[in-house]
Amino acid sequence: MSNAREKKRAKKMRNQPASVTLSSDCGPCPSGIQHHNGGSRSFQTPKQDLHPDSSQEFQQQRHQHQSPGPSYRKEQYFSKGQGRGRGGWRGGRQNVSQEMPKYITASTFAQARAAEINAMLKAVTQKSSNSLVFQTLPRHMRRRAMSHNIKRLPRRLREIARKEAEKAVHQKKEHSKNKCRKARRRHVNLVVEFNRRQKKNIWLETHIWHAKRFHMVKKWGYCLGDRPTTKSYRACYRAMTKHCLLQDLSYYCCLELNGKEEELLKVLARMCSIDTGPTFAAVPCLSGRLQGSLVLYRADRYPEDLLGPITFIWKPKDGSGITSETRQLWIWTHPSLKQDILTELKTVFQCSEPVETCSPEPIVTLLQEEKQTDVAMIVGKKRKREDNEGEKAVPVKKIIGDGTRVPLESYCWTSQTTGVVISDLTMEILRYRLIGPLSHCVLTEALKTASIQTEMADAETELNNWWVENCKNSEKVSLHQRQEAIFELLQGINSPSEIAAGTILGLTVGDPRVNLPKKSSKAMPNPEKYQDNEKVRQLLLEGVPVECAHSFIWDQTICKNVTENKIPEQDLNHMRGELLVPGSQLDLGPCESKIPILLVQQPGKVAGEDRPGWGSGWDIYLPKGWGMAFWIPFIYRGARVGGLQEGLKHSEYKRTPHIPNDFPDCPAGIQFAKELENVLLEKFKRRPPAKRANYVKLGTLAPFLCPWGQLTRDWEVRNKAQEESVVTSSADSKSGATERQVPCEPKPGLTIEDSQGDIMEEMAKIQNLCKEDGAATSSGFFVLRNRKLLKQLSARCRPTCGKGQRVRPASKLGQKEMTEDALLSIFKCYPRVLVWVSLSLLRKGSPELHAMICIPTQEDFLQLNKDQLFCGPQEPKHSDIFKHKILKLKERKKKKNNGNALESGASDALEAKAVEEPKELILGLWPDPLPDVTSHCSRILLGFVTQGDFSLAAGCGEALGFVNLTGLLHMLSSQPTDKKGLVLLRTPASLQYRFARLNIEV
Amino acid sequence: MAEPAPPAAELALRRRLPPRLPRRPGDVYVNMQTDFKAQLSRCQKLLGPGGGCAEICIHGLGLAINRAINIALQLQAGGAGALRLAANTSTVPLADGLEPQGDEDGRPPLARARNNSAIHIRVCRAAPPP
Repeated sequence: MSNAREKKRAKKMRNQPASVTLSSDCGPCPSGIQHHNGGSRSFQTPKQDLHPDSSQEFQQQRHQHQSPGPSYRKEQYFSKGQGRGRGGWRGGRQNVSQEMPKYITASTFAQARAAEINAMLKAVTQKSSNSLVFQTLPRHMRRRAMSHNIKRLPRRLREIARKEAEKAVHQKKEHSKNKCRKARRRHVNLVVEFNRRQKKNIWLETHIWHAKRFHMVKKWGYCLGDRPTTKSYRACYRAMTKHCLLQDLSYYCCLELNGKEEELLKVLARMCSIDTGPTFAAVPCLSGRLQGSLVLYRADRYPEDLLGPITFIWKPKDGSGITSETRQLWIWTHPSLKQDILTELKTVFQCSEPVETCSPEPIVTLLQEEKQTDVAMIVGKKRKREDNEGEKAVPVKKIIGDGTRVPLESYCWTSQTTGVVISDLTMEILRYRLIGPLSHCVLTEALKTASIQTEMADAETELNNWWVENCKNSEKVSLHQRQEAIFELLQGINSPSEIAAGTILGLTVGDPRVNLPKKSSKAMPNPEKYQDNEKVRQLLLEGVPVECAHSFIWDQTICKNVTENKIPEQDLNHMRGELLVPGSQLDLGPCESKIPILLVQQPGKVAGEDRPGWGSGWDIYLPKGWGMAFWIPFIYRGARVGGLQEGLKHSEYKRTPHIPNDFPDCPAGIQFAKELENVLLEKFKRRPPAKRANYVKLGTLAPFLCPWGQLTRDWEVRNKAQEESVVTSSADSKSGATERQVPCEPKPGLTIEDSQGDIMEEMAKIQNLCKEDGAATSSGFFVLRNRKLLKQLSARCRPTCGKGQRVRPASKLGQKEMTEDALLSIFKCYPRVLVWVSLSLLRKGSPELHAMICIPTQEDFLQLNKDQLFCGPQEPKHSDIFKHKILKLKERKKKKNNGNALESGASDALEAKAVEEPKELILGLWPDPLPDVTSHCSRILLGFVTQGDFSLAAGCGEALGFVNLTGLLHMLSSQPTDKKGLVLLRTPASLQYRFARLNIEV
Repeated sequence: MAEPAPPAAELALRRRLPPRLPRRPGDVYVNMQTDFKAQLSRCQKLLGPGGGCAEICIHGLGLAINRAINIALQLQAGGAGALRLAANTSTVPLADGLEPQGDEDGRPPLARARNNSAIHIRVCRAAPPP
């Protein structure tokens, strides 16, 4: 018997009931008692003998039943033939040979046989595998369509096949809807179904469009498109650099603050710091001209307790200046950060009282909607069922079902003391992002500014009544015309990055569905538009004037009006069908909706030297309900759509931190890291242990999670140890150390200019601050976001003389250069600080997530000097010290399992012991209390990579990550000048280190 | 490239992209990041058989003027007299964005104008000499 066949048979017989083989030798047993004895004895037989034989046992048994007499001989024959004769068999034989039974008790005998027969029947009917009947047939007996037509099967199998088919039908029935497809696809039912499906994770307005083309993920309470199902990684990159990439960012959350300007600024100043860049009070932002971005902290907690990065827009002051006191501020956050920021804002502003009347109250509006439609439609269908379907989204319901907000809870709060009103406008305003140089063309072609309208189309409707009101005012008309002129000028500008970063342009546009082209085409720049040079230059230099940033989108009532009075797609198509000349332009005249929008320029890559302005574009803010009406026209103009993955890549190539991946010190970032760890760990565990990387052997302590806390702590310990050693070695250590610690301020103060003095003051302030809450600092780590310090650091990271590097003007660097000692002493106050760095590989290699950033040794540099093609050193293999432990544990477990079968009660103690031991030792992973992470490998660890890939933009591997500040300074102080900022990168599943250049971009 | 230093107030100067006309297939913008050889071979491909361009235009701005001239001359040298050059110089107005680093008042302008020289070299196949 060939080995494979044996195995196959063993597999087949594995699930045979034990009783069949059990009582096989008991046919000739004299009595019931003996039979039972024999049974228990032969219990071991199947275990001792190999499985393949059991089939023969089965055969024997059959013979025994037919004729108990000759069975004995046969038995002998078989057993001889197989050359065995141990255990129960021999016993049985001996039994027989010794004495023949004189009598048989019929009842017990029959009972025993009945039991056997039952077992056999069971074995016959029970399938051993989960394959279908026709699948068990040998190949030559199979026929086409056997699964459908049981008559193609051999007759003996038909019965079973019939049963199986019935079963399958039943199962299908359970899954399928009880309605026919036509009924299910009926509009009303479809909408009900859609509403049910978006209860848990809300859908964006473009959901259906996305769901047909994207891999969808459920994140942050939304259903979002992750990446296109088509292969388009490169195509999306090309769109970002050369054409236009469109993203739906409607899931971003908007928080609106309403209140007196001074009040708002006073309180908000506590939540951010001027060190990290311009704050809410920055003049161009405050006037409403530019969009600002900053990082929020818990009130008065800077530099710890990060809440997260935000962007904000102030509503421009009204021209009259009367109402300049109360201002409106939008804060846009990522949904994962929203809850933290909202609660902090509420506590800071002491806004605790929910307001019922402030903005559209969901339930009331819902009722109103219902009434309206009941009047409008005589059919009287429930409005509830009608809303929320892809095209016809009436978003009233969406307010209630917002995923980031607890349903049936107010979303507007006010405070008695300050009069500030905070409202949560999530999903009220849609936001699309266009990235790439052609976004100007797409925008200008897809949108047409609204025409001036002085009289209402219909006395009854509310359609456009706000616009008519507006057009009666000649000032406002002229403002609209100026906005229009600027919008037209955009066509003459090649790339959005030529305009000032964060420029805001308000606009009122007509219905974009009206001038939808018949065929989708790519919008190309028109050279004729490039003539108007003077005006364009003025726009570039002076930006959009403040007045033009005004938009009606700030007014909630107008937004609501616009949303409610949208002409449905169906009506529009109907009107198109009634055109006299088919296919000609539809002219709605006064019935055409006017939609207020806001255009905000997004700066591309601002930090760093290369590729300035890469990935710049425009954000467009729309009132809700108009999502698809704007989406399709953009796509018809040649915009390619990207999902979350494309967004990640965009920020990676821009070298900006991505939310929430790259904010390890904010709650959302920690949460994200934990989730990511779980996902990666599950993925790791799914592979068989022999087929997965053994990270213990590779010397990777934490392949799935960056242990920032431990990294900073280890560096702190390390630093202290070094200092102590210095102290003990040098004689006049104490005085020197103290001198270096404190009095560095006067020294540079003498030599350096006034601006330097500012810096020094600030440093001193920070020093004090650090000393004050030294205890708090020691508890956790934070990320350095102080721009001045980062600039200093960045200057120090650059190689001062190197090949291919242009020598920078000395004045530029030297102006703010500080003495090393001063800088060191300042940074010493930050024991647990991380710095955001970007790394680009010198030669081969593409870094991965959680790759380790290490310090190269002197030998590595020597090697690199000697051999230009030197890729990098190798990490020596580590030994897996846990392997034996795991094996031991496994054995013990096995034993315990066996023991359990024998004695269940006694094993409790053992189990308790097992619980005490480290809960799960996974082969290939370091168990939880990690050793010193910095010195675990042959190169000292500096930090970890949080984003890394081969960069299509740079043409080499690039990574972004965090390093420990102490470690970085330690490294920089010991490196030769021409090799400054060179580090080693090692991916978690490799032993090879690669050289990379470290950059700090501010 | 004379860049005036930013004023004493906290302002950061960020160079924006130079204005550019929409690109025809025969336009080559020379830069200093890409390898010289690659840029040269790109021009050769455009001019060569199957390139589809009877004439190309090589643009160089600022530091890249030298390189643009170099590429054009190399092309001519390699073309064995079949190529003709026509150079034009111009001045390109540039804008540098000014970004305030703090919240200080003072209404700084958003950008500052600056001029830079540029060269545009037309390279076309010469008509066969009569």
